[in-house]
Amino acid sequence: MSENILHNEQKLLNLLEKKFLLKESRIIRAKRVEVKVEPKEVIPVLLYAKENSGYIHFAHMSCVDWIEDGEFEVVYILWHPEEKINLFVKTRVPRDNGSLPNIDFIWRQANTYEREIREMFGLRFEGLEGRKEFILEDWNNIPPMRRDFDTEAYVKEVFFHRLGREDAKDVREKIQERTDEELPDFAKKYSRD
Amino acid sequence: MEGIGYKILGALLTTLLAFTVGMFYAGFRRKIIARIQNRVGPPVYQNFLDVLKLLSKKTSVNHGIMQHLAPLWLITMSVSTLMFIPVLKDGLFFTNLNFSGDLIFLLYIMVFGPLGMALGAGQTGNPNSAIGVSRGLTQMVGFEIPWIMAIVALMIQYKTTSVTGLLDIQSQNGTWMMFSSPLAFIAALLAMPGMFRYAPFDIVGAPAELASGPISEFGGKYLSTMMTSGSIFAFVKLTLYVDLFMGGASNLIELVIKTFALYMYPVLWGAVSPRFRTEQAVRYFWGWPLFFGFAALIYAAF
Amino acid sequence: MYNDKESQKIVDIIQNFARKHSLFVLAYGTGCGAIEIPPTMTSRYDAERFGIRGAATPRQADVLLITGYLATKTLKRVIRVYEQMQDPKYVMGFGSCAINGGMYWDSYNTINMLDKYIPVDVYINGCMPRPEAVIAGFVKLQKLIQEGKADGWDRYKKNLDEYRANQKKIITNWVMPDFNR
Ligand code: SF4
Repeated sequence: MSENILHNEQKLLNLLEKKFLLKESRIIRAKRVEVKVEPKEVIPVLLYAKENSGYIHFAHMSCVDWIEDGEFEVVYILWHPEEKINLFVKTRVPRDNGSLPNIDFIWRQANTYEREIREMFGLRFEGLEGRKEFILEDWNNIPPMRRDFDTEAYVKEVFFHRLGREDAKDVREKIQERTDEELPDFAKKYSRD
Repeated sequence: MEGIGYKILGALLTTLLAFTVGMFYAGFRRKIIARIQNRVGPPVYQNFLDVLKLLSKKTSVNHGIMQHLAPLWLITMSVSTLMFIPVLKDGLFFTNLNFSGDLIFLLYIMVFGPLGMALGAGQTGNPNSAIGVSRGLTQMVGFEIPWIMAIVALMIQYKTTSVTGLLDIQSQNGTWMMFSSPLAFIAALLAMPGMFRYAPFDIVGAPAELASGPISEFGGKYLSTMMTSGSIFAFVKLTLYVDLFMGGASNLIELVIKTFALYMYPVLWGAVSPRFRTEQAVRYFWGWPLFFGFAALIYAAF
Repeated sequence: MYNDKESQKIVDIIQNFARKHSLFVLAYGTGCGAIEIPPTMTSRYDAERFGIRGAATPRQADVLLITGYLATKTLKRVIRVYEQMQDPKYVMGFGSCAINGGMYWDSYNTINMLDKYIPVDVYINGCMPRPEAVIAGFVKLQKLIQEGKADGWDRYKKNLDEYRANQKKIITNWVMPDFNR
């Protein structure tokens, strides 16, 4: 891809790099820009993107549990309606006792995502309001989307199982093998790389 | 003594007739709507099965006395209205109490049932019922005004308030009031779909938004009583229209033909209509129907 | 004379005939399968032929359709709806999710065996069953009713303690009105 096509993306990256201390930044591909920041930089970066760069649409916010690193990664996805670029702002906080600033004064709808992440991962947001119980009802186990929550054991213990499913095999290894395989020809044209 | 025996038998026969005819009409309605939607539809006797099944259901709901009384109130209203309406012009069995009550009394007794229903629905405490009742009363204010205007116009024009009197006048003149006072007929006809509560005026029991409104807490035997009362009342309304505007009927076959023809009008309109909102319905009733009601009054007075 | 076995048999036959040909289905959907109900009811498959029609509230309904996976949160509502329905009432479970958990069998918030929590009269298999299968399920239910075998409501009353224990295992915070049998 030539420089010319990625002009807008590069411009954004240059601006952000000049203004903030980014841990890492890259252009994933056309229309996708990713920056990684410290938790305390989240609000300045998001505000700057919204007010000065035209990333006015808050598309999504999600959380990834990196249990090996002992960290949660929270991803904010912003969208520029005119240049049609997605900006991924990523930040990492420690799994236990980590906390993030609340951003629902920038985009009101972030409140919903934050409450969901709080409930499903147990991640704290400073100053987040709203009832603790959001989607789950009467949940008194560890938050279910954490990777140290053993779904299978929980299911085995709580629910009944109809006979005839005992041979349901663990296919995770098989899937792992398959991901390293060469793509078949017909699938190639749908692939991104 | 013999006279009283005949009267009781006649009353039973009339009720039975009204029930059967009303049920079959409702079945035909479902069938016709199904055919319009390119379906096969249920058999015409489906409503009898529904009533039978509802009667065979157990009922273990208690919200208070009025809730138990409301269906009875409704069916009392239907049957007593039926008693005051000349089903046939003359005849041994269908005379009932025709000569005792007049049109003004009929107008009163016809709102008696919905009122009892409103009280019963109010006691169930279901919010949908409360909304349904308020909608129903609003709609009643809408269609009652043109309808009453049309009837008052008839009363003024022919100087009688008795239904039998109006029937006699029609047979003396040899013409139906549909033709001799057309403005009143148009006003009454335009108000009619509101009385039947079929689409587009089914705003009271809108299943999709109100969960069937006032009747949402009534199941089993209560619902079957209500269905029975509804079918009797449909027959009552149709017969009243036929008596007032289409010269009555001198035998049952004529009656069935006339009422069925009249019944097709709200049914077919309803089959192809979506639902009005409450204020749209009221705006409709206070538009052209009201205009024709006024026109009929002026025409009758001068 | 009026209460002997023979006359009861005749009453039963008439009752079951009426019940069989007039099924009011509660308009309530839980999983993917709710989307199969509109085509079943409308012009293409026309379930009204069999006397099946929608009912808006549990008080008027006879049949409760569990159309697919049932989350633990929804289970609470389903139990309440089921207990509000008037006897006799029937339950149909749709799809593999209701039967054994289907593809959500190891999810922390969907139940796996519907018949442990409320009595089920007919299961329809498939993921999701097509409208033809749904109608076949209804016909099967009608057959069961005719034979007097669709007695889930009776079983629920008789084994209420067992069902309650299973339900309370999942719904830990039990705040529900009493079941009025
Ligand atoms: S069986 Fe299939 S279609 Fe039905 S609820 Fe489960 S996943 Fe959805």
